[in-house]
Amino acid sequence: MNDSHAKKFQKDLNAGLVALVLLAVLAATDEDAYGYDIAKRLQPPDGSEPLFKEGTIYPVLRSLSASGWLSSRIVPSYSGPPRRYYRITPEGRAVLADWLAAWAHTRDFVEHFTRAATQQRPSEGSTI
Amino acid sequence: MTSATPVSINDYLQALREALRAADPALVQDAIYDAEQHLRAEIAAKPNSAEHDVLAEIVKSYGAPEEVAAAYLETESRVQAAMATPASNRRPRPTPDQGTSKIGIWRRFFGVYGDVRSYTMLFYCLLSLFTGVFYFSFVAIGLSLSIGLAILIIGLPFFVLFIGAARLLALVEGRLVEAMTGERMPRRPTTLPPDLSLLQRIGRMLKEIRTWTTLAYEALMLPLGIAYFVIVIVGLSLGPGLIAAAIFEGLAAVGVTWPGRPGIHLASESAWMGEWIRHPLGLLLLASGGIVVTTFTLHVVRGLGRLHGAFAKRMLVAL
Repeated sequence: MNDSHAKKFQKDLNAGLVALVLLAVLAATDEDAYGYDIAKRLQPPDGSEPLFKEGTIYPVLRSLSASGWLSSRIVPSYSGPPRRYYRITPEGRAVLADWLAAWAHTRDFVEHFTRAATQQRPSEGSTI
Repeated sequence: MTSATPVSINDYLQALREALRAADPALVQDAIYDAEQHLRAEIAAKPNSAEHDVLAEIVKSYGAPEEVAAAYLETESRVQAAMATPASNRRPRPTPDQGTSKIGIWRRFFGVYGDVRSYTMLFYCLLSLFTGVFYFSFVAIGLSLSIGLAILIIGLPFFVLFIGAARLLALVEGRLVEAMTGERMPRRPTTLPPDLSLLQRIGRMLKEIRTWTTLAYEALMLPLGIAYFVIVIVGLSLGPGLIAAAIFEGLAAVGVTWPGRPGIHLASESAWMGEWIRHPLGLLLLASGGIVVTTFTLHVVRGLGRLHGAFAKRMLVAL
């Protein structure tokens, strides 16, 4: 029960974050990257669970591409179907800059109000 | 909630297909493509592990079929909502009493001029003569060469190549149909597993009903393309032609002359029209006839767009 609430909350949080992270990852590299490659770059450095499943990035990549924020090209592959390589467009970079500002604002705002709750939690937990 | 862990790529894809069974077939094709490409890359990256071990890991990292299906459905609905906004703004907003009132009917009739789909479909109809000729020739030549070469060693590879090219054409046509009619079509191709032998590939291609519906679609595009082309050309020559005739005749009647060509006497040259056409009422009738024909043509063309979109989806998208 609690677990599914946590999952649902995480899913709601992720709604816009996947797109933000994908744009950031593609903005950080000069090379074109394909879906699998991007998915592998999203592994957290400390080996912990990634925030979202790799399968969820593909539809987001496609919608970013449809918005003109990513350009893409197809390259044949030996290991299966042809691969689609993505690259961030100048419009994509502009959008990313806006989103990063929004994200920094959101993070600070949330942090400000949740810090107190985080510090209280241990004592609160013991009363239950 | 979660079904048994899939043990092979095909199992996984089947489960994903199952989880998406209520979704648009074009979306399903895209999702299957993404998953297959990812899973094959994952398996290729771990050549020493057994397929089912890798798959157990994949379900953890890529997501269970149900989770992935949910992500596609959610993104799709969000993207579609975003893309639908301008289209719905452009349409006249129907208020309860407008649908039946006279103004509502007029607006519905002439609203076709403000609908971008009318113009994209005009273009598609004109283009379909050429694409139709091309697809038909492609299928006719490909099929006859395949049959003719079947007794030679190059017959089989040629057939595989031909069917592959026909599928690629279907994908391109799908993109065109989506751009012109708004019907959601696949953005990614369907693929066969890479580890099949040539004969197995051919067997698969022959067994898949979609291979045959794709070829049928491409062959049928010739008669359809001709019909669409004729409808547009006839409608758009007749309608604006009548309007132009009324304008020129009216100008000639009030004595306007052109340098080098004093007056254009359209009506006087065709006996059946007679003298009534010179009457102001006759001119008005001629012009309104032209407007009705033009508008009606646009309605027909837009309707064709919906029909053709549905038809293309039935024939070209995996079921």
